[in-house]
Amino acid sequence: MSLLAVSNLTKCYRRGDKTIAAVDDVSFHIDPGETLALAGPSGSGKSTIARLVLRLIEPDDGRIDFEGSDFLALSGAALRARRARLQMVFQDPLAAFNPRATVARVLDDPLRVHGIASRAERPRRIAALLERVGLIADLAPRAIHEISGGQRQRVAIARAIATKPSLIVLDEAASALDVSVRGEILKLLLDLQRQEKIAYLFISHDLGVIRSVAHRVILLDAGRIAENGDAQTVIDAPQSAIGKALVAAAPRLNRTLMRLASAGLD
Amino acid sequence: MSPLRRFLRTPEAVTGAMLLAALIAMALSASLLFPGDPQAIAGPALLPPFQDWSLPLGTDRLGRDVLAELFHGARTSLAVGLAAAAAALVVGAVVGTLAGFAGGLVDEVLMRITDAFQTVPSFLLALAFVSVVGPSLGVVVIAIALGTWTGPARVARAEVLSIRERDYVAGARVIGMHPLAIAFREVLPNALPPVLAMSSVIVAAAILTEAALSFLGLGDPNRVTWGGMIAEGRAVLRTAPFLSIVPGIALVLTVLGVYLAGEGIVETTAVRRGLS
Ligand SMILES: Nc1ncnc2c1ncn2[C@@H]1O[C@H](COP(=O)(O)OP(=O)(O)OP(=O)(O)O)[C@@H](O)[C@H]1O
Ligand SMILES: [Mg+2]
Repeated sequence: MSLLAVSNLTKCYRRGDKTIAAVDDVSFHIDPGETLALAGPSGSGKSTIARLVLRLIEPDDGRIDFEGSDFLALSGAALRARRARLQMVFQDPLAAFNPRATVARVLDDPLRVHGIASRAERPRRIAALLERVGLIADLAPRAIHEISGGQRQRVAIARAIATKPSLIVLDEAASALDVSVRGEILKLLLDLQRQEKIAYLFISHDLGVIRSVAHRVILLDAGRIAENGDAQTVIDAPQSAIGKALVAAAPRLNRTLMRLASAGLD
Repeated sequence: MSPLRRFLRTPEAVTGAMLLAALIAMALSASLLFPGDPQAIAGPALLPPFQDWSLPLGTDRLGRDVLAELFHGARTSLAVGLAAAAAALVVGAVVGTLAGFAGGLVDEVLMRITDAFQTVPSFLLALAFVSVVGPSLGVVVIAIALGTWTGPARVARAEVLSIRERDYVAGARVIGMHPLAIAFREVLPNALPPVLAMSSVIVAAAILTEAALSFLGLGDPNRVTWGGMIAEGRAVLRTAPFLSIVPGIALVLTVLGVYLAGEGIVETTAVRRGLS
Protein backbone atom coordinates (compact mmCIF):
# COMPACT_ATOMS: atom_id res chain seq x y z
CA MET A 1 0.00 0.00 0.00
CA SER A 2 1.34 3.42 -0.80
CA LEU A 3 2.42 5.80 1.91
CA LEU A 4 0.76 8.84 0.38
CA ALA A 5 -2.06 8.67 -2.14
CA VAL A 6 -3.36 11.89 -3.64
CA SER A 7 -6.43 11.74 -5.86
CA ASN A 8 -8.10 14.41 -7.96
CA LEU A 9 -6.55 17.22 -5.92
CA THR A 10 -7.77 20.64 -7.03
CA LYS A 11 -7.05 24.12 -5.72
CA CYS A 12 -8.26 27.33 -7.36
CA TYR A 13 -7.35 30.94 -6.67
CA ARG A 14 -9.34 33.99 -7.67
CA ARG A 15 -7.44 36.51 -9.70
CA GLY A 16 -9.54 39.57 -10.42
CA ASP A 17 -12.89 38.16 -11.47
CA LYS A 18 -11.71 34.90 -13.01
CA THR A 19 -10.55 31.85 -11.08
CA ILE A 20 -7.39 30.01 -12.07
CA ALA A 21 -6.68 26.43 -11.06
CA ALA A 22 -3.24 26.39 -9.43
CA VAL A 23 -3.63 22.61 -9.06
CA ASP A 24 -6.06 20.88 -11.41
CA ASP A 25 -7.23 17.30 -10.84
CA VAL A 26 -3.82 15.95 -9.80
CA SER A 27 -3.42 12.33 -8.68
CA PHE A 28 -0.24 10.52 -7.62
CA HIS A 29 1.13 8.23 -4.97
CA ILE A 30 4.40 7.78 -3.10
CA ASP A 31 5.62 4.44 -1.73
CA PRO A 32 7.56 4.09 1.53
CA GLY A 33 11.22 5.02 1.09
CA GLU A 34 10.65 6.37 -2.41
CA THR A 35 11.55 9.76 -3.91
CA LEU A 36 8.93 11.30 -6.16
CA ALA A 37 10.05 14.49 -7.89
CA LEU A 38 7.79 17.32 -9.00
CA ALA A 39 9.13 19.49 -11.80
CA GLY A 40 7.58 22.12 -14.04
CA PRO A 41 7.86 25.74 -15.04
CA SER A 42 7.47 28.54 -12.53
CA GLY A 43 3.83 28.88 -11.48
CA SER A 44 2.91 25.34 -12.52
CA GLY A 45 1.63 24.53 -9.03
CA LYS A 46 4.53 22.66 -7.40
CA SER A 47 4.56 24.64 -4.14
CA THR A 48 0.78 24.63 -4.02
CA ILE A 49 0.79 20.81 -4.11
CA ALA A 50 3.39 20.80 -1.31
CA ARG A 51 1.28 23.11 0.85
CA LEU A 52 -1.87 21.06 0.18
CA VAL A 53 -0.15 17.80 1.12
CA LEU A 54 1.10 19.44 4.34
CA ARG A 55 -2.37 20.82 5.16
CA LEU A 56 -1.00 24.36 5.21
CA ILE A 57 -3.83 25.23 2.81
CA GLU A 58 -7.06 23.33 2.17
CA PRO A 59 -7.97 21.89 -1.28
CA ASP A 60 -11.18 22.72 -3.10
CA ASP A 61 -11.58 19.10 -4.09
CA GLY A 62 -9.79 15.79 -3.91
CA ARG A 63 -8.58 13.27 -1.40
CA ILE A 64 -5.29 12.71 0.46
CA ASP A 65 -4.60 9.40 2.17
CA PHE A 66 -1.51 9.29 4.35
CA GLU A 67 -0.33 6.13 6.12
CA GLY A 68 -3.61 4.42 5.32
CA SER A 69 -6.04 7.01 6.67
CA ASP A 70 -7.94 9.99 5.30
CA PHE A 71 -5.53 12.87 6.01
CA LEU A 72 -8.06 15.58 5.13
CA ALA A 73 -10.48 14.27 7.79
CA LEU A 74 -8.04 15.09 10.59
CA SER A 75 -8.27 18.35 12.52
CA GLY A 76 -7.13 19.93 15.78
CA ALA A 77 -5.04 17.79 18.11
CA ALA A 78 -5.31 14.67 15.91
CA LEU A 79 -3.90 16.55 12.92
CA ARG A 80 -1.11 18.09 15.01
CA ALA A 81 -0.13 14.67 16.32
CA ARG A 82 -0.09 13.15 12.83
CA ARG A 83 2.14 15.98 11.57
CA ALA A 84 5.05 14.25 13.30
CA ARG A 85 5.06 11.74 10.41
CA LEU A 86 4.93 14.31 7.59
CA GLN A 87 7.60 16.99 7.62
CA MET A 88 8.93 19.71 5.38
CA VAL A 89 12.18 21.47 4.48
CA PHE A 90 11.82 24.92 2.95
CA GLN A 91 13.84 26.56 0.19
CA ASP A 92 15.16 29.52 2.15
CA PRO A 93 16.54 28.19 5.43
CA LEU A 94 16.79 31.70 6.88
CA ALA A 95 13.11 32.52 6.35
CA ALA A 96 12.11 29.08 7.63
CA PHE A 97 13.20 29.82 11.19
CA ASN A 98 12.07 32.32 13.77
CA PRO A 99 14.65 35.13 13.48
CA ARG A 100 15.15 35.06 17.26
CA ALA A 101 15.69 31.31 17.47
CA THR A 102 18.83 29.45 18.38
CA VAL A 103 19.80 26.11 16.84
CA ALA A 104 18.91 24.39 20.11
CA ARG A 105 15.45 25.92 20.28
CA VAL A 106 14.67 25.05 16.68
CA LEU A 107 15.44 21.40 17.41
CA ASP A 108 13.84 21.49 20.86
CA ASP A 109 10.42 22.48 19.41
CA PRO A 110 9.49 19.18 17.70
CA LEU A 111 10.83 17.12 20.62
CA ARG A 112 8.79 19.14 23.10
CA VAL A 113 5.61 19.46 21.02
CA HIS A 114 5.38 15.73 20.38
CA GLY A 115 6.61 14.71 23.84
CA ILE A 116 9.46 12.73 22.28
CA ALA A 117 11.96 13.36 25.06
CA SER A 118 11.82 14.69 28.61
CA ARG A 119 13.22 18.15 29.30
CA ALA A 120 16.34 16.65 30.88
CA GLU A 121 16.91 14.32 27.95
CA ARG A 122 16.40 16.86 25.19
CA PRO A 123 19.89 18.45 25.10
CA ARG A 124 21.34 14.99 24.46
CA ARG A 125 18.77 14.35 21.71
CA ILE A 126 19.56 17.71 20.13
CA ALA A 127 23.27 16.90 20.10
CA ALA A 128 22.51 13.51 18.52
CA LEU A 129 20.33 15.15 15.83
CA LEU A 130 23.08 17.65 15.01
CA GLU A 131 25.61 14.85 14.66
CA ARG A 132 23.14 12.88 12.54
CA VAL A 133 23.14 15.65 9.92
CA GLY A 134 26.91 16.11 10.03
CA LEU A 135 27.14 19.11 12.36
CA ILE A 136 29.00 19.44 15.63
CA ALA A 137 26.95 19.59 18.84
CA ASP A 138 28.71 22.85 19.82
CA LEU A 139 26.51 24.61 17.29
CA ALA A 140 23.45 24.25 19.56
CA PRO A 141 23.68 27.57 21.47
CA ARG A 142 24.28 29.62 18.30
CA ALA A 143 21.63 31.92 16.87
CA ILE A 144 20.15 30.80 13.56
CA HIS A 145 21.49 33.88 11.77
CA GLU A 146 25.00 33.18 13.02
CA ILE A 147 25.53 29.95 11.05
CA SER A 148 26.16 29.45 7.34
CA GLY A 149 23.45 28.71 4.78
CA GLY A 150 24.58 25.11 4.38
CA GLN A 151 24.67 24.58 8.14
CA ARG A 152 21.23 26.14 8.39
CA GLN A 153 19.78 23.75 5.82
CA ARG A 154 21.32 20.85 7.76
CA VAL A 155 19.61 22.17 10.90
CA ALA A 156 16.34 22.31 8.93
CA ILE A 157 16.81 18.66 7.96
CA ALA A 158 17.61 17.76 11.58
CA ARG A 159 14.39 19.46 12.65
CA ALA A 160 12.44 17.56 10.00
CA ILE A 161 13.79 14.15 11.05
CA ALA A 162 13.45 14.86 14.80
CA THR A 163 9.96 13.34 14.90
CA LYS A 164 10.90 10.28 12.79
CA PRO A 165 8.68 11.09 9.80
CA SER A 166 7.85 8.66 7.01
CA LEU A 167 7.61 11.43 4.40
CA ILE A 168 9.45 14.73 4.00
CA VAL A 169 8.38 17.39 1.51
CA LEU A 170 11.41 19.22 0.11
CA ASP A 171 10.37 22.37 -1.76
CA GLU A 172 13.50 23.49 -3.63
CA ALA A 173 15.39 22.48 -0.48
CA ALA A 174 18.79 22.57 -2.14
CA SER A 175 18.22 25.25 -4.78
CA ALA A 176 19.34 28.27 -2.78
CA LEU A 177 22.71 26.72 -1.92
CA ASP A 178 26.13 26.84 -3.62
CA VAL A 179 26.80 23.97 -5.98
CA SER A 180 29.29 22.25 -3.65
CA VAL A 181 27.04 22.64 -0.59
CA ARG A 182 24.07 21.45 -2.65
CA GLY A 183 25.88 18.21 -3.43
CA GLU A 184 26.58 17.59 0.28
CA ILE A 185 22.96 18.26 1.24
CA LEU A 186 21.66 15.91 -1.47
CA LYS A 187 24.08 13.24 -0.30
CA LEU A 188 22.86 13.68 3.29
CA LEU A 189 19.25 13.31 2.13
CA LEU A 190 20.08 10.11 0.24
CA ASP A 191 21.92 8.71 3.28
CA LEU A 192 18.94 9.43 5.52
CA GLN A 193 16.57 7.83 3.04
CA ARG A 194 18.67 4.69 2.84
CA GLN A 195 19.01 4.36 6.60
CA GLU A 196 15.59 5.48 7.85
CA LYS A 197 13.38 4.51 4.89
CA ILE A 198 12.06 8.08 4.56
CA ALA A 199 10.09 8.93 1.43
CA TYR A 200 10.58 12.32 -0.24
CA LEU A 201 8.32 14.54 -2.27
CA PHE A 202 11.17 16.33 -4.00
CA ILE A 203 10.32 19.62 -5.70
CA SER A 204 13.01 21.06 -7.93
CA HIS A 205 13.47 22.85 -11.22
CA ASP A 206 16.86 21.18 -11.68
CA LEU A 207 16.25 18.14 -13.90
CA GLY A 208 19.88 17.05 -13.49
CA VAL A 209 19.42 16.79 -9.73
CA ILE A 210 16.05 15.07 -10.14
CA ARG A 211 17.56 12.55 -12.53
CA SER A 212 20.22 11.60 -9.97
CA VAL A 213 18.12 11.51 -6.75
CA ALA A 214 14.49 10.70 -7.71
CA HIS A 215 12.93 7.36 -8.52
CA ARG A 216 9.94 8.78 -10.35
CA VAL A 217 9.09 12.25 -11.65
CA ILE A 218 5.90 14.16 -12.40
CA LEU A 219 6.09 17.03 -14.86
CA LEU A 220 3.48 19.70 -14.20
CA ASP A 221 2.13 22.27 -16.60
CA ALA A 222 -0.33 24.92 -15.45
CA GLY A 223 -1.54 22.80 -12.54
CA ARG A 224 -2.00 19.58 -14.54
CA ILE A 225 0.19 16.50 -14.83
CA ALA A 226 1.80 16.57 -18.27
CA GLU A 227 4.03 13.55 -17.91
CA ASN A 228 4.69 10.95 -15.30
CA GLY A 229 7.10 8.06 -15.02
CA ASP A 230 10.54 6.73 -14.15
CA ALA A 231 12.83 9.73 -13.53
CA GLN A 232 15.68 8.70 -15.82
CA THR A 233 13.38 7.52 -18.61
CA VAL A 234 11.30 10.69 -18.58
CA ILE A 235 14.26 13.06 -18.44
CA ASP A 236 16.33 11.21 -21.03
CA ALA A 237 13.44 11.00 -23.48
CA PRO A 238 10.56 13.30 -22.58
CA GLN A 239 7.33 12.69 -24.51
CA SER A 240 5.30 15.79 -23.60
CA ALA A 241 5.85 19.22 -25.09
CA ILE A 242 6.55 20.73 -21.68
CA GLY A 243 8.99 17.92 -20.89
CA LYS A 244 10.93 18.57 -24.08
CA ALA A 245 10.95 22.31 -23.36
CA LEU A 246 12.20 21.79 -19.80
CA VAL A 247 14.99 19.46 -20.91
CA ALA A 248 16.00 21.82 -23.70
CA ALA A 249 16.15 24.70 -21.22
CA ALA A 250 18.39 22.86 -18.75
CA PRO A 251 21.97 23.74 -19.77
CA ARG A 252 23.81 21.73 -17.15
CA LEU A 253 21.72 18.66 -17.88
CA ASN A 254 22.36 19.00 -21.61
CA ARG A 255 26.05 18.97 -20.97
CA THR A 256 25.74 15.89 -18.76
CA LEU A 257 23.56 14.13 -21.29
CA MET A 258 25.95 15.02 -24.07
CA ARG A 259 28.81 13.65 -22.02
CA LEU A 260 26.83 10.50 -21.37
CA ALA A 261 25.96 10.22 -25.04
CA SER A 262 29.54 10.69 -26.15
CA ALA A 263 30.70 8.21 -23.51
CA GLY A 264 28.19 5.76 -24.96
CA LEU A 265 29.48 6.35 -28.49
CA ASP A 266 33.10 5.63 -27.55
CA MET B 1 28.76 53.15 17.41
CA SER B 2 26.90 51.37 20.18
CA PRO B 3 23.27 52.38 20.83
CA LEU B 4 24.19 53.61 24.33
CA ARG B 5 26.86 55.94 22.97
CA ARG B 6 24.53 57.23 20.29
CA PHE B 7 21.89 57.78 23.00
CA LEU B 8 24.40 59.73 25.11
CA ARG B 9 25.31 61.92 22.13
CA THR B 10 21.71 63.06 21.65
CA PRO B 11 21.15 66.11 23.90
CA GLU B 12 17.36 65.65 23.97
CA ALA B 13 17.69 62.03 25.01
CA VAL B 14 20.19 62.89 27.76
CA THR B 15 17.94 65.67 29.06
CA GLY B 16 15.02 63.27 29.10
CA ALA B 17 17.02 60.59 30.85
CA MET B 18 18.18 63.06 33.49
CA LEU B 19 14.64 64.29 34.15
CA LEU B 20 13.42 60.73 34.34
CA ALA B 21 16.26 59.77 36.69
CA ALA B 22 15.36 62.70 38.97
CA LEU B 23 11.72 61.61 38.98
CA ILE B 24 12.63 58.01 39.82
CA ALA B 25 15.01 59.21 42.55
CA MET B 26 12.21 61.33 44.02
CA ALA B 27 9.76 58.44 43.93
CA LEU B 28 12.22 55.99 45.49
CA SER B 29 13.49 58.34 48.22
CA ALA B 30 10.08 59.77 49.18
CA SER B 31 9.53 57.61 52.25
CA LEU B 32 13.22 57.83 53.28
CA LEU B 33 13.41 61.63 53.18
CA PHE B 34 9.83 62.21 54.29
CA PRO B 35 8.98 59.16 56.39
CA GLY B 36 5.77 60.52 57.96
CA ASP B 37 2.34 60.90 56.40
CA PRO B 38 2.76 63.58 53.70
CA GLN B 39 -0.83 64.63 54.36
CA ALA B 40 -0.09 65.43 58.04
CA ILE B 41 0.12 69.04 59.20
CA ALA B 42 3.78 70.12 59.36
CA GLY B 43 3.68 73.82 60.13
CA PRO B 44 1.71 77.05 59.75
CA ALA B 45 -0.67 77.23 56.80
CA LEU B 46 0.33 78.93 53.52
CA LEU B 47 3.99 79.37 54.39
CA PRO B 48 5.68 80.68 51.18
CA PRO B 49 8.70 78.80 49.76
CA PHE B 50 12.31 79.52 50.84
CA GLN B 51 11.27 81.03 54.20
CA ASP B 52 11.79 78.16 56.58
CA TRP B 53 14.56 75.70 55.65
CA SER B 54 12.81 72.84 57.39
CA LEU B 55 9.94 73.43 54.96
CA PRO B 56 11.84 74.57 51.82
CA LEU B 57 8.84 74.78 49.48
CA GLY B 58 6.51 76.09 52.15
CA THR B 59 3.12 74.70 53.18
CA ASP B 60 -0.36 74.55 51.67
CA ARG B 61 -3.72 75.76 52.98
CA LEU B 62 -3.77 73.10 55.70
CA GLY B 63 -0.11 73.49 56.67
CA ARG B 64 1.14 70.37 54.86
CA ASP B 65 4.78 70.23 53.67
CA VAL B 66 4.71 70.94 49.90
CA LEU B 67 8.11 69.30 49.27
CA ALA B 68 7.01 66.10 51.02
CA GLU B 69 3.81 66.13 48.99
CA LEU B 70 5.80 66.66 45.78
CA PHE B 71 8.02 63.65 46.51
CA HIS B 72 5.13 61.38 47.42
CA GLY B 73 3.19 62.66 44.41
CA ALA B 74 6.07 61.60 42.15
CA ARG B 75 5.48 58.07 43.37
CA THR B 76 1.82 58.10 42.42
CA SER B 77 2.47 59.65 39.02
CA LEU B 78 5.19 57.18 38.16
CA ALA B 79 3.34 54.14 39.51
CA VAL B 80 0.07 54.98 37.78
CA GLY B 81 1.77 56.01 34.55
CA LEU B 82 3.87 52.85 34.30
CA ALA B 83 1.13 50.48 35.46
CA ALA B 84 -1.50 51.93 33.12
CA ALA B 85 0.88 51.94 30.16
CA ALA B 86 2.00 48.37 30.89
CA ALA B 87 -1.63 47.22 31.14
CA ALA B 88 -2.53 49.00 27.88
CA LEU B 89 0.48 47.53 26.05
CA VAL B 90 -0.13 43.98 27.30
CA VAL B 91 -3.87 44.03 26.55
CA GLY B 92 -3.29 45.73 23.19
CA ALA B 93 -0.55 43.30 22.14
CA VAL B 94 -2.61 40.26 23.13
CA VAL B 95 -5.82 41.48 21.44
CA GLY B 96 -3.95 42.59 18.32
CA THR B 97 -2.06 39.30 18.07
CA LEU B 98 -5.21 37.20 18.47
CA ALA B 99 -7.11 39.28 15.92
CA GLY B 100 -4.31 39.30 13.37
CA PHE B 101 -3.34 35.68 13.77
CA ALA B 102 -6.78 34.10 13.98
CA GLY B 103 -8.37 36.23 11.23
CA GLY B 104 -11.99 35.61 10.22
CA LEU B 105 -14.72 35.99 12.80
CA VAL B 106 -12.35 36.39 15.77
CA ASP B 107 -10.61 39.26 13.98
CA GLU B 108 -13.94 40.83 13.04
CA VAL B 109 -15.31 40.72 16.61
CA LEU B 110 -12.10 41.92 18.27
CA MET B 111 -11.66 44.81 15.84
CA ARG B 112 -15.30 45.90 16.30
CA ILE B 113 -14.68 46.02 20.07
CA THR B 114 -11.49 48.00 19.44
CA ASP B 115 -13.44 50.43 17.22
CA ALA B 116 -16.07 50.86 19.93
CA PHE B 117 -13.43 51.75 22.52
CA GLN B 118 -11.67 54.06 20.12
CA THR B 119 -14.78 56.12 19.29
CA VAL B 120 -15.21 57.16 22.94
CA PRO B 121 -12.67 59.86 23.90
CA SER B 122 -10.28 58.14 26.28
CA PHE B 123 -10.51 60.80 28.97
CA LEU B 124 -14.32 60.57 29.08
CA LEU B 125 -14.02 56.81 29.32
CA ALA B 126 -11.63 57.10 32.27
CA LEU B 127 -13.85 59.72 33.90
CA ALA B 128 -16.97 57.57 33.55
CA PHE B 129 -15.23 54.45 34.79
CA VAL B 130 -13.83 56.08 37.93
CA SER B 131 -17.15 57.82 38.67
CA VAL B 132 -18.99 54.51 38.52
CA VAL B 133 -16.49 52.22 40.28
CA GLY B 134 -15.11 54.74 42.76
CA PRO B 135 -11.61 56.22 43.03
CA SER B 136 -8.70 54.04 44.10
CA LEU B 137 -5.25 53.57 42.64
CA GLY B 138 -6.14 50.30 40.90
CA VAL B 139 -9.32 51.71 39.41
CA VAL B 140 -7.46 54.76 38.08
CA VAL B 141 -4.91 52.46 36.42
CA ILE B 142 -7.65 50.39 34.75
CA ALA B 143 -9.57 53.52 33.77
CA ILE B 144 -6.55 54.97 31.95
CA ALA B 145 -5.65 51.63 30.34
CA LEU B 146 -9.24 51.29 29.03
CA GLY B 147 -8.76 54.28 26.77
CA THR B 148 -5.20 53.54 25.58
CA TRP B 149 -4.98 49.83 24.68
CA THR B 150 -6.58 50.33 21.24
CA GLY B 151 -3.52 52.01 19.68
CA PRO B 152 -1.12 49.18 20.58
CA ALA B 153 -3.78 46.64 19.49
CA ARG B 154 -3.97 48.13 15.98
CA VAL B 155 -0.20 48.33 15.59
CA ALA B 156 0.26 44.75 16.86
CA ARG B 157 -2.45 43.44 14.51
CA ALA B 158 -0.90 45.10 11.45
CA GLU B 159 2.50 43.65 12.31
CA VAL B 160 1.09 40.18 12.97
CA LEU B 161 -0.76 40.20 9.64
CA SER B 162 2.54 40.52 7.79
CA ILE B 163 4.48 38.10 10.02
CA ARG B 164 1.95 35.28 9.85
CA GLU B 165 2.59 34.77 6.13
CA ARG B 166 6.27 34.02 6.70
CA ASP B 167 7.75 30.59 6.15
CA TYR B 168 8.73 30.13 9.76
CA VAL B 169 5.10 30.31 10.86
CA ALA B 170 4.25 27.60 8.30
CA GLY B 171 7.25 25.72 9.70
CA ALA B 172 5.83 25.92 13.22
CA ARG B 173 2.51 24.54 11.95
CA VAL B 174 4.28 21.68 10.16
CA ILE B 175 6.03 20.84 13.43
CA GLY B 176 2.58 20.47 14.99
CA MET B 177 2.74 23.42 17.36
CA HIS B 178 -0.54 24.59 18.90
CA PRO B 179 -1.94 27.73 17.19
CA LEU B 180 -1.90 29.68 20.47
CA ALA B 181 1.74 28.73 21.03
CA ILE B 182 2.54 29.87 17.49
CA ALA B 183 0.72 33.18 18.04
CA PHE B 184 2.32 34.00 21.39
CA ARG B 185 5.72 32.28 21.24
CA GLU B 186 6.63 32.64 17.57
CA VAL B 187 4.71 35.64 16.23
CA LEU B 188 4.11 38.07 19.12
CA PRO B 189 7.78 38.57 20.13
CA ASN B 190 8.62 39.55 16.55
CA ALA B 191 5.64 41.93 16.39
CA LEU B 192 6.65 43.77 19.59
CA PRO B 193 9.23 46.40 18.49
CA PRO B 194 6.75 48.83 16.87
CA VAL B 195 4.32 48.30 19.76
CA LEU B 196 6.99 49.04 22.36
CA ALA B 197 8.00 52.14 20.40
CA MET B 198 4.64 53.62 21.44
CA SER B 199 5.31 53.18 25.13
CA SER B 200 6.91 56.57 25.86
CA VAL B 201 3.92 58.45 24.45
CA ILE B 202 1.54 56.16 26.32
CA VAL B 203 3.34 56.57 29.67
CA ALA B 204 3.43 60.36 29.24
CA ALA B 205 -0.28 60.46 28.35
CA ALA B 206 -1.15 58.17 31.27
CA ILE B 207 0.68 60.47 33.73
CA LEU B 208 -1.24 63.45 32.37
CA THR B 209 -4.56 61.62 32.52
CA GLU B 210 -3.92 60.59 36.10
CA ALA B 211 -3.17 64.23 37.00
CA ALA B 212 -6.34 65.36 35.25
CA LEU B 213 -8.48 62.80 37.10
CA SER B 214 -6.94 63.84 40.42
CA PHE B 215 -7.48 67.49 39.56
CA LEU B 216 -11.19 66.71 39.15
CA GLY B 217 -11.18 64.98 42.52
CA LEU B 218 -11.32 61.47 41.02
CA GLY B 219 -7.89 60.34 42.19
CA ASP B 220 -7.26 57.99 45.08
CA PRO B 221 -8.17 60.19 48.11
CA ASN B 222 -5.63 58.42 50.34
CA ARG B 223 -2.66 59.37 48.19
CA VAL B 224 -0.96 62.65 47.40
CA THR B 225 -1.08 63.39 43.67
CA TRP B 226 0.23 66.31 41.69
CA GLY B 227 -3.16 66.80 40.06
CA GLY B 228 -4.75 66.94 43.50
CA MET B 229 -2.14 69.48 44.68
CA ILE B 230 -2.88 71.73 41.69
CA ALA B 231 -6.60 71.51 42.45
CA GLU B 232 -5.92 72.36 46.10
CA GLY B 233 -3.82 75.37 45.13
CA ARG B 234 -6.45 76.70 42.75
CA ALA B 235 -8.55 78.03 45.67
CA VAL B 236 -5.68 80.35 46.69
CA LEU B 237 -4.25 80.96 43.22
CA ARG B 238 -3.99 84.74 43.73
CA THR B 239 -2.42 84.79 47.18
CA ALA B 240 -0.28 81.63 46.94
CA PRO B 241 0.30 80.80 43.25
CA PHE B 242 3.33 78.63 44.10
CA LEU B 243 0.96 75.94 45.39
CA SER B 244 -0.24 75.35 41.81
CA ILE B 245 2.96 76.28 40.00
CA VAL B 246 5.29 73.85 41.83
CA PRO B 247 3.35 70.63 41.08
CA GLY B 248 2.54 72.01 37.61
CA ILE B 249 6.22 72.39 36.76
CA ALA B 250 6.91 68.92 38.17
CA LEU B 251 4.22 67.49 35.90
CA VAL B 252 5.49 69.25 32.77
CA LEU B 253 9.10 68.19 33.42
CA THR B 254 8.04 64.59 34.06
CA VAL B 255 6.00 64.29 30.87
CA LEU B 256 8.81 65.94 28.92
CA GLY B 257 11.41 63.63 30.47
CA VAL B 258 9.44 60.45 29.75
CA TYR B 259 8.78 61.55 26.19
CA LEU B 260 12.34 62.64 25.37
CA ALA B 261 13.99 59.59 26.94
CA GLY B 262 11.51 57.25 25.24
CA GLU B 263 11.99 58.84 21.83
CA GLY B 264 15.75 58.72 22.34
CA ILE B 265 15.62 54.98 23.00
CA VAL B 266 13.36 54.35 19.99
CA GLU B 267 15.56 56.45 17.75
CA THR B 268 18.86 54.86 18.73
CA THR B 269 17.54 51.30 18.49
CA ALA B 270 15.69 52.04 15.23
CA VAL B 271 18.88 53.28 13.60
CA ARG B 272 20.62 50.13 14.71
CA ARG B 273 17.91 47.93 13.22
CA GLY B 274 18.02 49.92 10.02
CA LEU B 275 21.76 49.38 9.66
CA SER B 276 21.87 45.67 10.39
N1 LIG C 1 -2.02 32.51 -2.18
C1 LIG C 1 -2.22 32.61 -3.52
N2 LIG C 1 -3.13 33.45 -4.02
C2 LIG C 1 -3.33 33.54 -5.36
N3 LIG C 1 -2.68 32.82 -6.27
C3 LIG C 1 -1.75 31.95 -5.84
C4 LIG C 1 -1.47 31.80 -4.45
N4 LIG C 1 -0.50 30.86 -4.31
C5 LIG C 1 -0.20 30.45 -5.55
N5 LIG C 1 -0.94 31.10 -6.48
C6 LIG C 1 -0.89 30.90 -7.94
O1 LIG C 1 -0.95 29.51 -8.19
C7 LIG C 1 -0.07 29.16 -9.25
C8 LIG C 1 0.90 28.08 -8.78
O2 LIG C 1 1.81 28.65 -7.85
P1 LIG C 1 2.95 27.80 -7.15
O3 LIG C 1 3.58 28.66 -6.13
O4 LIG C 1 2.40 26.51 -6.70
O5 LIG C 1 3.96 27.57 -8.36
P2 LIG C 1 5.36 26.85 -8.36
O6 LIG C 1 5.26 25.74 -9.34
O7 LIG C 1 5.78 26.51 -6.99
O8 LIG C 1 6.30 27.97 -8.97
P3 LIG C 1 7.83 28.30 -8.64
O9 LIG C 1 8.65 27.34 -9.44
O10 LIG C 1 7.99 29.69 -9.14
O11 LIG C 1 8.03 28.17 -7.18
C9 LIG C 1 0.61 30.44 -9.69
O12 LIG C 1 -0.08 30.92 -10.83
C10 LIG C 1 0.43 31.36 -8.52
O13 LIG C 1 0.35 32.69 -8.97
MG1 LIG D 1 7.37 27.13 -5.64
